Amino acid sequence: MPDKAPFPHSPEPSARLSPSSSRQASKKQTPSLRKARLWEALRQRFHRPPTPWLERSHQRLVYVGMGFLFIYGAVAFKALFATVLAPMAPLPGQIASQLPEIPKPDPHALIGSGFELPNIKRATITDRNGQPLALSLPIVQVYANPMEIISPEDVYTKLRQVVPNLDHQDIVRRLSQKKQFVYIARNLSPTQELAINNLGIPGIYFETGERRHYPLGRIAAQIMGGVDIDNRGIAGVERYFNQRLTSDHTPLRLSIDARVQAAVRDELDAAKQMFRAIGACAILMDVHTGEILAMVSLPDYDANDFGHAPADARFNRAVTGMYEPGSTFKLQTAAMALELGVAHPWDSFSTAPIHVGRFKISDLKSDHFAPWLPLTSVMAFSSNPASAHIALAVGAERQHTWLKNMGFLNRVPIELPEAGRPIVPSRKNWGYTTVMTVGFGHGVAEPPLAIVRGTAATGNGGFLITPTLLARNHDNDDVVMSDTIGPRVLSEKTSNTLRRILRLVVTKGIGKRAESPGYFVGGKTGTAEKISAHGTYLKNVNITAFTGLFPVNAPRYALYVMLDAPKPTAETHGWTTAGWIAAPTFSKIVTRTAPMLGLFPPDPARAAQIEEQLAIPLIPPIPRGAHAFGPGHEAGILPASVANPRHHTKKHPSHAD
Amino acid sequence: MAIPSRTDSTARAQWWRSIDHVSLTGIGILIGLGYILMLAASPAVAHRIGASRNMFIFKQVAFLSIAAAVVLITSRLSVRSIKRLAVFGGVIALGATFMTLVHGMEIKGARRWIALPLMSVQPSEFLKPFFAVFAAWLLSLRGTILIKNKWRFPGRAVACLVYLVIAALLQAQPDIGMLSVITMVFVTQLFVDGLPMAFFGALVLAMLSAFGVAYLTFNHVRSRVQRFLHPDVGDHYQIDTSLRAFGNGGLLGRGPGEGRVKDLLPDAHADFVFAVAGEEYGFLMCCFIIALFAMLVLCTLRRLIHEKDPFIILASSGLITGFGLQAFINMGSTLHLIPTKGMTLPFISYGGSSAFSVALTMGMVLALTRHRVEPGLFAPQPKESEVPMSNRLFSPTSPHKDPSA
Repeated sequence: MPDKAPFPHSPEPSARLSPSSSRQASKKQTPSLRKARLWEALRQRFHRPPTPWLERSHQRLVYVGMGFLFIYGAVAFKALFATVLAPMAPLPGQIASQLPEIPKPDPHALIGSGFELPNIKRATITDRNGQPLALSLPIVQVYANPMEIISPEDVYTKLRQVVPNLDHQDIVRRLSQKKQFVYIARNLSPTQELAINNLGIPGIYFETGERRHYPLGRIAAQIMGGVDIDNRGIAGVERYFNQRLTSDHTPLRLSIDARVQAAVRDELDAAKQMFRAIGACAILMDVHTGEILAMVSLPDYDANDFGHAPADARFNRAVTGMYEPGSTFKLQTAAMALELGVAHPWDSFSTAPIHVGRFKISDLKSDHFAPWLPLTSVMAFSSNPASAHIALAVGAERQHTWLKNMGFLNRVPIELPEAGRPIVPSRKNWGYTTVMTVGFGHGVAEPPLAIVRGTAATGNGGFLITPTLLARNHDNDDVVMSDTIGPRVLSEKTSNTLRRILRLVVTKGIGKRAESPGYFVGGKTGTAEKISAHGTYLKNVNITAFTGLFPVNAPRYALYVMLDAPKPTAETHGWTTAGWIAAPTFSKIVTRTAPMLGLFPPDPARAAQIEEQLAIPLIPPIPRGAHAFGPGHEAGILPASVANPRHHTKKHPSHAD
Repeated sequence: MAIPSRTDSTARAQWWRSIDHVSLTGIGILIGLGYILMLAASPAVAHRIGASRNMFIFKQVAFLSIAAAVVLITSRLSVRSIKRLAVFGGVIALGATFMTLVHGMEIKGARRWIALPLMSVQPSEFLKPFFAVFAAWLLSLRGTILIKNKWRFPGRAVACLVYLVIAALLQAQPDIGMLSVITMVFVTQLFVDGLPMAFFGALVLAMLSAFGVAYLTFNHVRSRVQRFLHPDVGDHYQIDTSLRAFGNGGLLGRGPGEGRVKDLLPDAHADFVFAVAGEEYGFLMCCFIIALFAMLVLCTLRRLIHEKDPFIILASSGLITGFGLQAFINMGSTLHLIPTKGMTLPFISYGGSSAFSVALTMGMVLALTRHRVEPGLFAPQPKESEVPMSNRLFSPTSPHKDPSA
C-alpha cells in the first residue's frame, strides 16, 4: 500500500513545490504552461499543506483527552443525579435493620374506646352501645440473632428485668446456638418492647404482630367465635365477617347488648345450675327489626381461650342445636288455623286420645281435661289430641306451605356460619301422622332461633322478620310497628287474637309461672322428651322451653328460654315440664332485662286497662249464627283407614303440659 | 522507600526520577481503595455463595499485592522489552483465547475463562493491552521500514488483519463487551495515528452498524439494550438495586460498613463495586474515584503531547484509552448511563485476571511515559545498541532517514 500521508520527518510539500513554480515563471510562457501555472496557483490556494504527523497526533491526543473529559463528566453528572438530586429510595425491606421501628405507646388510651389502633389489621367488634366485644391489641415477639450476641448470660440478666418469667437455661441455650434467628419471648406488650429496646442489647430484634382479645370473656362467646394463630376468623361472626373485619377498619357494631347479654346469661346459668340441666339456651330478639339483643348458649367458654374450649361449650344451641319444639309449636298450629279460617277461638276440639297404628296421641293422665276444649283452652292448657285435630283440619298441604312460608323448612338466616338446617320430613312423607305430630311440635327438629322468629311473627302484626346480629341504625326507643321489615305471613287480626291467647296462657293457663308483673308477658310452654341414642323417647328427660313476647299489648321483644334435661327440685314437686322449669326462668329474665331495655310497668289503673283489652275468655262465647265445631260437629277427623282400631296401643312419646 | 538523591545514579534512582509520579500515586490510591471497598462489598457476596466470610478479602489482598508488584516491575522495562513482552504475551493470549473456544469453561452462556488451580483466567483481558502495544508498533513501523518503490511497510493493513483475527475470536466466545473495547482502542489509535477525518467518520459509522448487527444477532445484547431503553419492561433488579444503593448513600454516604442495599446487590464485589462505594461513602467518594481515573488518563495523555516517539505515543494512548474506557463502562453501567456490561473497575473490582491485566497495562504505560533523556547537549551519545529501535529510527540524527527527504 503506498502511503500517501507524509510521515514524521518528510520534507514539507510546499517547500518542494515553490522552487518548481518559480522555475516555471522564468521561462517563456506557452498556453499550456499558463494553464498548468493556473492549476498550480489554484492548488496552492486551496490545498493546504498537510500537517506533520507528530503535530497532528499531538492535536488528536488533545481530542482524545477532551473525549475522556466528556464521558467522565457524564458519569460524574449521573452520579450526582443518582445520589443527591434524584436518589432512588431503597425498598423498605432492603434497609429494614437500618430503621428500627419505634414502638408506639397509647398515651390517650384510645384502645379502650374502640378506636382504630395504628398497625392493627383486624377491626374491632362492638356491641350496639360501642362496648368492645373483640379487639386486636399490638403485641411483639422478641427474637435474637445469636451471632450478634456478645454474652448470653448478660443478655438474660438484662431481659429478666423486663420479662421476669424467662427460663434461664433455655434462654442461654438458645442464645448460644449457631443460628441467626431464635425466639426469646412472645406476646409482649408495646411497653415491654420499649423497655427492652431501652436496654440497648445488640442482636435483639422485635417482630410486631397483633392478638385478638375478648374483654368480656364468656359473654357472647359463641357469637364471637374465634380466630386462629394467623388472625383469621374460624368461627362465629369472626369467621362470617372475616372479609369485612380485615378490609374495613371501622368497628363492626353488633346488635347484641352486652348488658342484656350478661344479665340473660346470668339468669340462665342460675337456672341451669338450680335444675342441674346439661345445657341451656336463651334468645332475646327485637320483634320489629329482627335484631338479636342477647343469644346465650350454655355451657359456654372464655372466648380468649377458644383453642381449649370443649366442643360442647363451643356448640351454639341457639342456631346449631336442633330440638323438637314440643308444645311451643302449637302456637303455629293455632296461627295457621285462625289465619286460614279453619277454626275460631270458640271452636271446640276433642281431647280424647287418638290411636294411630300402635301409637296413641294423648295428654298426661294428671291433666284431667274436659273431653272437649275450645281453641283458647287448648292453647292455655296445651292438649296434644286437640292440637292434632286442629292440624288435621288445616290439612297436610296448607300446613306444609305455612311452615315453609314461616321459614321453618330452611336454614334460618343469621350471620353465623354455624347456622344449621332444620330436620324436617320431606313433603312426600308428610302424611297424616306427620300432620298430627307436627301439630303439637313433634316429628320436626328446629333451631331455637327459628322458634323465636315464628313467635315474633305472631306478635309484630304478622311480618316474618329476618334475624340479624348487626345493629340497625335507629334509636332504640323510636321503633314502631311500621318499621317492621319482611313479608306479611298473617293478618293483623290473627296476630291480635294470638297475642291475647298467649297472654291467656300466662294469666290462666299452664304458663302462670312466667308472669312478670307489669310487663304483660305472653307465651307458650313446650316440653319435648329427649330421644335416646337408640332412637326411642326417654321418660322424664325433657327439653323444656318457653317462647313468648313482652309486652304483649304492643310487643317489642320476643324471648325464648330453653333448658336441656333439667332435674326436678323440691319447688317443682318433681315436675320437669316447661311450666315448672322454663316459665319461671323466662319470668326472671324478663323482670331483670326489661328495665335495661327501657320498659317500665305502667301505673295500676293503666295496667288494669291493658289487661282488660288483652283479656280473652278460656271458653269464648259462640257468636250468634256461627256453626262452631264441637261435639256432633267435629273437625279434623282422622280417616278410618288410617286409625288402627287395635288396642295394644302405646302412648305417643309426648305429653302435654 | 526513601527518595533517592539526585546524584544517585543507580537504576532504581533513575527509574524513580523518570517515572510519572502523578500516575504512580494515582495507581497506589486506587489499589488502596480496592482493598477498602473489598472489605465492604465482599462479605455479603461470600455469604451468599456459601464461602468463608473473608475468602474474597484474602484473595484480593494477594491479587492486589501481586498487581502492585507487576506495576512496579513492568514500569522498569525498556521500550524494547515492552515490545517483546507485547509480542510474546500477545501470541500467548491469542492462543489462550483460542483455547477457550475448545477447552474453556462456560459461565452464563459464554466461554471466556480457562480454569487454573487457584483462579480462572480470562485470556482476552490480557489480549487487550498486548494488542494495543502490538498495533502501535505495527503502525509506527510504517515510517521506518521501506520496501521498494517508495512502498512503506503496510502497518495499517497488518494491524487491521490482526484486529480482524481477534475480533473473529471474541465474537465466537461471545464477548461483545471486550470486542467493543478493543475496537474502540484500535480506532483511537488509528485516530491518533492521523487517519484522515473522512476515514475516521466512516469507521465510526462502521462501528455503529456493527453494533446494530450485534444487536440483531446476539440475544443477550438485545435484551440488555432493550432493558436500558425501556425502564418499565423486563427485569431491572440488578440496576434498580444498584441505583437504590446510590440513593441510599446520598451526598456523604451511610458510613463504612453501614451499607444495607449492598448486601442484596448481585456481584457487589465485582461489577457493582462502584455502587457499594456510592452507598457507604456517598457522592463525594464517587467523585473522587472518577477524578482519579480522569487524572490518570489525562496526565498520561498530557505527557504524551511532549513525546516524540510515534510508537510511544500510539502504544500509550491505546493502553490508557483501554484503561479509561474500562473504568467508564463499569461506572456508566452501574449508574445506568449505558446498558449493563460486565466489566471490572480497574484495581477496585475483585478479580485476579482483571487485576493482573490492568497492572500490566498501567505498568507498560508508566514504562513508556518515563522521561527519557534525548541524546544531545547534556547527555552522552548512547551506544547504538542501547538506543531503542524507535528512538534510533526517528531521531533527527538517525542514519535511517526517510529516503524521500
